[in-house]
Amino acid sequence: MAAPLKTFACSWCLLRHFSKAKAMPIALNNFIIRNFTNSTVGKFHPKIINVFKNNVVMTSNAEIHTTCRLAHGDYEWQDPVDESQVVNIEYVDRKGTVIPVKAKVGDNAMYLAHRYDIELEGACEASLACSTCHVYVDEKYLDVLPEPDEREDDMLDMAVYLRENSRLGCQIILTKEMEGMRLTLPKATRNFYVDGHVPTPH
Amino acid sequence: MPKDKCSTKNMSSSIQMKYGIVPVRQLLSTIYAAKNVQNKVLSLPHHHYKISGSRSASSTAAASEKSSGMQFRPLYLDAQSTTQLDPRVFDAMLPFMTENFGNPHSRTHFYGWEAEAAVEEARENVAKLIGAEAKEIVFTSGATESNNISVKGAARFYSRDKKHVITTQTEHKCVLDSCRQLEAENFEVTYLPVKSNGIIDMNELEQAIRPDTSLVSVMAVNNEIGVIQPLQEIGELCRSHKVFFHTDAAQAVGKIDIDVNKMKIDLLSISGHKIYGPKGIGALYARRRPRVRLEPIQSGGGQERNIRSGTVPAPLVVGLGEACRIALQEKEYDGARIKELSDRLVNKINAQCTHVIRNGDPDRAYPGCVNLSFAYVEGESMLMGLKDIALSSGSACTSASLEPSYVLRAIGAEEDLAHSSLRFGIGRFTTEAEIDYAVDKCVEQVNRLREMSPLWDMVQEGIDLKSIQWTQH
Repeated sequence: MAAPLKTFACSWCLLRHFSKAKAMPIALNNFIIRNFTNSTVGKFHPKIINVFKNNVVMTSNAEIHTTCRLAHGDYEWQDPVDESQVVNIEYVDRKGTVIPVKAKVGDNAMYLAHRYDIELEGACEASLACSTCHVYVDEKYLDVLPEPDEREDDMLDMAVYLRENSRLGCQIILTKEMEGMRLTLPKATRNFYVDGHVPTPH
Repeated sequence: MPKDKCSTKNMSSSIQMKYGIVPVRQLLSTIYAAKNVQNKVLSLPHHHYKISGSRSASSTAAASEKSSGMQFRPLYLDAQSTTQLDPRVFDAMLPFMTENFGNPHSRTHFYGWEAEAAVEEARENVAKLIGAEAKEIVFTSGATESNNISVKGAARFYSRDKKHVITTQTEHKCVLDSCRQLEAENFEVTYLPVKSNGIIDMNELEQAIRPDTSLVSVMAVNNEIGVIQPLQEIGELCRSHKVFFHTDAAQAVGKIDIDVNKMKIDLLSISGHKIYGPKGIGALYARRRPRVRLEPIQSGGGQERNIRSGTVPAPLVVGLGEACRIALQEKEYDGARIKELSDRLVNKINAQCTHVIRNGDPDRAYPGCVNLSFAYVEGESMLMGLKDIALSSGSACTSASLEPSYVLRAIGAEEDLAHSSLRFGIGRFTTEAEIDYAVDKCVEQVNRLREMSPLWDMVQEGIDLKSIQWTQH
């Protein structure tokens, strides 16, 4: 009998691994494969994935992501499984309207905004190459978030209307401690238009 | 005294022969005249070189000067105001003014890549000089802009809960003016006094720091009296209070040892033309860890980490980079040589002149900046009599006003002494012959002016001038 999966990085790497192993466990469909330890969602995971299958450790360090049922950003479209997963947060859009959102642990604040049609652009699709998902985080929740890494700081340098409580939405992965957090959108982003055009997520 | 005797045009050839000083421009014009070359005026550095025992060269140059109608260029002893472009810097810049003309922000073709590579190499050279990382260097138009961005930018960014800035009374005008503008925006600014030696009191600084203090700005080397502030102590104090520390290092970079990490400096301003680089270019060091955020003064395309938008001028940046590379390479040699020339100047003046006061602590000053007050003599009158030497009374920004230097007032110099000060700026290209000539001319002028001064007569008679009740006009 195959032992359960112990550790995994992301669905792409895992699927890649199983396609090489010529074995796709049916149980995979029941898993929401996610890496909670790494705040940078959407980057490649060159980590070794340990999969316990027939008590044999199989490893893969494949970096090429292949398409699968859950694309990056798809996780946010799923509702919480139970109440223990729920994280209630609020977005404040550019007009000042407060939008309450029932989110869940592990949601990415940028992709979550896309689900609820909140104008948080995210032009680079969470690859830390732009500042268009710039948000202001409630002061009291700043310490709950992990420290921004240098690449996030470099991108924040490029954001307009920067403040001390500025963060990139794509780097905010929700946890239970963030219950009640409010994310405010700045008046404009680097990709601004003066003709009324509103950029939409790809 | 006849008018033409004072003019720089008719500086006697005998003086030139005595000191062996001939401007290179004159020498070249002589050579070209001999070869019947029509274009005699060459745009070369107008620097005086010592011609060892060359009597004929001097007299020929003087004769040529008259024939070509060229004006004699005074000795240059104002290195705190600006410095001559090092020929090596000019050589490095030239290709980027001609064939390598690309925009360093053009990412789609070779011209842009070439310019960008040169800009990044220059950034690396600037960073090495101050012990920083290349990514922490932002190119600006000069130290004035760097100071404006630092002081206003940091204060405004952290203004939601921090509305207090600390600086000193002896800062450069651009820092003081930036602070004055912040005061108009409802910030509070503490202007720390300095001790009589020009150095700040660390206890006073510590007492001035408050929970709402965002920035402390203290210049590294004063542009008028040359005193070096205790940067490391200030940096450690600021870091312990979680306050950012900015230093205007325009007069310090490449001249004294600066390590931004060791000294815990968060923001540092650099000027190109103070270190034998081109004018119109400078740099700002902005720390990345712990990161200093700045509200940009200028809006635009987000170049230079969005701190200073606008196309980076590749030729000027290359010049600044090369100037920094040379400064790092020659800092020790230049330092020793300038110290030697500085001692020579001060010792010779003191040996021939009484009542000369050195402003600022000579033991804690950059030797290339010598500020002397000649009692009972007007500084402006001195300058009028020293037209063949480029000197300054006060900084170049304020020397046109009749107010005594605010820096000298801050160190407690009496008003009459503040009015009688001269600043000698010694640099990389200053020669011993120039120092000797400057000393002789200076002493001669002091003696001449004192002979005309009734105050000097009274002092000679032993009268204490402070005891006299002067009537108001």
